[in-house]
Amino acid sequence: MVATFLPLIFSPVVYFLGKHKGINIATWFSFGILALSTIFLIIPSLGLGSGGQYQEIYSGGQLGHFGLKLDGLSVPFAITIYIISTAVVLYSKPYMARKILLDHDHDQTKTIVEPKKDDVEVEDGKNVGFKGGNLSTMVLSKTQKSHLDTQMGIYFALYLALSMGMVGTVLATNILEFYVFFELMIVPPFFLIAFFGYGNRKKVSFVFFLWSAVGALVLLLGLLAIGFFSGGFDFDVIKSNSSQIPVDWIPLILLSIVMGFGIKLGALFLHVWLPDTYTQAPTPISVVISSAMTGIGAYGIVRIWLELLSGNYAGYGIYLDIWGVATMVFGGAMALMQNDIKKVLAYSSISSMGYIIFGLGSESVLGISGAIMLYVSHGLGKALLFMMAGSIILQTGTRNMDKLGGLSSKMPYTAVLTMIGALTIMGVPITSGFMAEWVLFNGSLQDAIDETNYLKIAAFAVAISTTVLTSAYILWMYKRIFFGIVPETLKNVGDSSRYVIVTMGVLAAFTLILGLYPDLFYSPIINYVENLYSNSSNIAQIKQTTDSQELRISDQLIGGFGDSKTNDFSQIGTGEVDGYYMQQNRYT
Amino acid sequence: MVGTETIGFAGLGVNAWLIWMIPFIGAALIPALKNKSERVKSYIAVGFSFLSAFFALSILPIGLAGNEIHSQIPWFSALNLNAGVLADPLGIIMSNLVAWISASIFVYSISYMHGERSLTRYWFFMLFFIGSMQLIVLSDNLLMVFFGWEGVGLASFALIGFWYTDRKKDYVGREGHVVWGIPMWASPTHSGIKAFLFNRVGDIMMLSGMFMIFAYAGTFGFKELLSDQSWAQEMMQQNLLVPAAVLLFGGAIGKSAQFPLNEWLLEAMTGPTSVSALIHAATMVKAGVFLVARIGPLFFALAVFNVSLFFEVVAWVGAITAFLLATQALVNQEIKKVLAYSTGSQIGYMMMALGIAGLSTNFVDGYTAGFFHMISHALFKASLFMAAGAILHTVGSRFMYDMGGLRKNMKKTYIFMLLASLSLAGAPLITSGFWSKDAIFASLLESSYSLSPYLFTIAVVIAVMTAFYTFRMVGLVFFGKPSKNMANMESKGQRIHEVSKMMWIPFAILAISSIAIGFVGFAFEAQIHGLFAHYLSNTFGISERGEGDDGGFLGLNPIAAISSVGAFGVGGYLGYLFYIQRKADPEKIRENVVSRAMWQFLHNRWYLNSLLYWIGVVIPLAFYRLTYKYFEGIFINGINPALQYSMVFMSKVVKVTQTGNIQTYLYVFSAGIIVIAMLLLM
Repeated sequence: MVATFLPLIFSPVVYFLGKHKGINIATWFSFGILALSTIFLIIPSLGLGSGGQYQEIYSGGQLGHFGLKLDGLSVPFAITIYIISTAVVLYSKPYMARKILLDHDHDQTKTIVEPKKDDVEVEDGKNVGFKGGNLSTMVLSKTQKSHLDTQMGIYFALYLALSMGMVGTVLATNILEFYVFFELMIVPPFFLIAFFGYGNRKKVSFVFFLWSAVGALVLLLGLLAIGFFSGGFDFDVIKSNSSQIPVDWIPLILLSIVMGFGIKLGALFLHVWLPDTYTQAPTPISVVISSAMTGIGAYGIVRIWLELLSGNYAGYGIYLDIWGVATMVFGGAMALMQNDIKKVLAYSSISSMGYIIFGLGSESVLGISGAIMLYVSHGLGKALLFMMAGSIILQTGTRNMDKLGGLSSKMPYTAVLTMIGALTIMGVPITSGFMAEWVLFNGSLQDAIDETNYLKIAAFAVAISTTVLTSAYILWMYKRIFFGIVPETLKNVGDSSRYVIVTMGVLAAFTLILGLYPDLFYSPIINYVENLYSNSSNIAQIKQTTDSQELRISDQLIGGFGDSKTNDFSQIGTGEVDGYYMQQNRYT
Repeated sequence: MVGTETIGFAGLGVNAWLIWMIPFIGAALIPALKNKSERVKSYIAVGFSFLSAFFALSILPIGLAGNEIHSQIPWFSALNLNAGVLADPLGIIMSNLVAWISASIFVYSISYMHGERSLTRYWFFMLFFIGSMQLIVLSDNLLMVFFGWEGVGLASFALIGFWYTDRKKDYVGREGHVVWGIPMWASPTHSGIKAFLFNRVGDIMMLSGMFMIFAYAGTFGFKELLSDQSWAQEMMQQNLLVPAAVLLFGGAIGKSAQFPLNEWLLEAMTGPTSVSALIHAATMVKAGVFLVARIGPLFFALAVFNVSLFFEVVAWVGAITAFLLATQALVNQEIKKVLAYSTGSQIGYMMMALGIAGLSTNFVDGYTAGFFHMISHALFKASLFMAAGAILHTVGSRFMYDMGGLRKNMKKTYIFMLLASLSLAGAPLITSGFWSKDAIFASLLESSYSLSPYLFTIAVVIAVMTAFYTFRMVGLVFFGKPSKNMANMESKGQRIHEVSKMMWIPFAILAISSIAIGFVGFAFEAQIHGLFAHYLSNTFGISERGEGDDGGFLGLNPIAAISSVGAFGVGGYLGYLFYIQRKADPEKIRENVVSRAMWQFLHNRWYLNSLLYWIGVVIPLAFYRLTYKYFEGIFINGINPALQYSMVFMSKVVKVTQTGNIQTYLYVFSAGIIVIAMLLLM
């Protein structure tokens, strides 16, 4: 509870802090609040173990109970959202300060920046004032300073509201509560883009808001229908009464849900708003929108459809499958066509959301678990890549890849961290991307084989081949930015500031940890999905070896592993019990 | 603890774990030394490679005794997956091979990379490379193998594109050589990406195969797959066992650069030569062969089910690759590329042997032959590459026509490169290459597979070509008159000199050991044969049927031996005639239409590279461009304006009715009343 509302409560405070105390204090205060909220969130999640849940319920009058719930599904989503939000606060400081000052300079000198059609040249290629957002070396006039402080206050106030909206959405226990948070999280980005964006920002923010609002309304129709038929808006009530929904209504309800969340995910045909929004939003907001917010559509599909209406899932999966594959291929192909770094990443997000949709449609425990994990992994990876795009803008003033090149000698840390992000998106071990993707594809193939459905096998083949396309556009982008000869204009470029490097480093560390030790998130996720479909024969279950079934039993009885002759326990630093066994076959 | 039967340190096989962990630890440590001097970085990296090699050596006795270490820890408990090492004789021998050859390449690198920038990155990825390779070799399950698999892919991407500024001198291929609109020369970064993507294609096949097996078995562990074979039964009923096996082999096709994914290997020559040596001798391309050696017996042990199709695929892919690449090596002008073609071709031999093993009654013969060839190839190819690197270092050009007559200036390089070349060409009785190739010939002859005579013929033809291109290479580099390039260098005052000790000693050791194994070739082969016979029967229950060796002179199969010697004689003599004695002029083939067309065909790489680029790059890109222009640009981006204008239009329509004229409103109002009244009255 505290974790969710803390940011909202303190959001006006940040505004005043920014206005009166300067941006440093505002930054660290926001960071403190989000870090604290993250900790408040992680503590109950640790107590979950596997399969449990943590819930707070408050009465909401006639509309049911408004509560907050942490379970195997919401934990990965909520933690990812807060980790990314927290990290981005620090990233925002140098980035937004520079952005605000530049805009301010434009206003002062009355140079009207004509919005160009394809506006990739964000700073007229001029080398402005200070490098890398290093404010300490820069002397600001008094008006500049007060303008900066006020604007940063507004920025952080909206920013906190945004992160709160996202977390609220994934923790809600009531579909109306869910809807309120869902609407709430599209308001701050609207203002953030309109105030701080690039290019044609007012129009872009308007398009973003309209499409999101329409999506939310379409969703609301479905949600209300579910509520009326099942006689309550609480998740628990709906879950137990979902069989009361008339069969004729099911396809309509599902359509509205999928359309509503599809717009959020930017699925093919519904992605109209997405590329421009990601491109023209200020980069920290691009990070948050792309890595944390769009994926909430996936959360919605799992929670509302797969969990609450679970009886109606099998059979429709194939449509999601095909839609997901189409989105994957489309996003990847379009990403290859771009010159603008942020546009590549925007289309790449579409493609990744395609992966998630594909996983959700796989009708298998592993496929769904993989899709949930992919949200986490994509969040971390795409955040790294967008931050890289931001650093490039910060350092060079352009995001046009034709004008970049050879930057790995100039920005070595950024290059390395970007590579980790790139590997996460490409799904290469030891990043979390691989852990998500193999489970996802594994589940999908398992289901396809179980059903001997050739359409599904074909969908799987296309989908897994798309990983080659993904690698291609990511590496091609990487090559154009970081390899080759440094252009004359960029001879003096240096690496990003510490704020940027450290935040990127933290996210990179997370993806590596999850890649090596996936249990952190997979235990709750897989448990949740397994419980969801424990009785369902249409859903491909996790295959257990006869060995491992015995192993589970022997685990409980004697704590040994397998049929080893000997076993040994030792406590390893992290506190997990690692058992070893070895066997020796002697040739005689 | 484990009691009396302790193996390794603390009875947990810790040293087996450490073999692959140490390079990774070293790799993690290298960035911390960023600001230290070049010497410190290099020596610490080399130290780590030797440390890993010593741990490999410490388990060698266990392997030679036919024992194994199998140690597991829980890892991915949500799916009941364990992490583990499996050091069985196969893994142990391979691991030692990898460790010691990489260690010698590392020593060589100190001198070869001296003065280069970004050595931190170089050593990081070199250590990462061998760590990943050792992980492939020692893992006890397919998932961890895949970790290593992608690790070597990543490291090769980074090292092939090591000189990321794309200077012209680091390119590969002759500039201006365009085939079907596709340039045949490539920059380092381009080649790196190409290697990665080609491997990725193989990887998705391998992943699909893994998933199919996992869907039925619920485990990736080699031991578990063997102990409970019900999964294979189920898969066989669905006719999925052979597809799964072939898909797994798809991974090996990508990694070992087999047909049709062979093209990346040639562009991979843009990396530093030490990297090429590592890729070709110890890591990367050997990973594919090792995978087949790992899973081959497993599928053969399921012999109740008919899996011979899998082995046929392996054998024929190997044969096609070996032939394809050997022919192209005949005409290439770059020393490293000739060696690269030859690697692909030799790997084809190994695949052929491993494939034919599954098609014979005596599985162990072909298996041993393939593995023996891998050992001898690793020795001589590492040596050849390092020697070639020494030459490049001195001459400063990758083209062989810029060399010539070097035997006087670089005596040591000449001697040891000649020794290694003899091994590659298969000089009879004294080289390891001869014995291993002979073993492959013999296993092809003894196979019961109906098409094996064809395979044998192909193998002999390849052997002729191998001997020819080897002597061609030696002749062009070391014999004849010094080239213009070298005359230029001399006139500028650059002396063509021998390389430093640190460079020539490593390849000298490998070349000598290649010959040394040749001298005891028969005994060595018998030793491996015995070891693998034990290993296969012990672990997989594959026992030898019928006679083992057929006696004869030193256990040689007479037909195989004669054809091997004959092939060496014919190919070697032709090469000697054209390029060493220079009695005949190879330029003559340009005068004849037919031979010139053949030369063109081979020189353009059978048009395979261009074909793949058209299918995989040019056509899809054109299609994407159309989609971007019309679908995304006009249709999708048109939705917003369309909505906007339709709304404006609607409002205009509505606006028409709002005339502001009271009389009109009254008319409409009364008309409405009348209509409603009529409706009510009806």
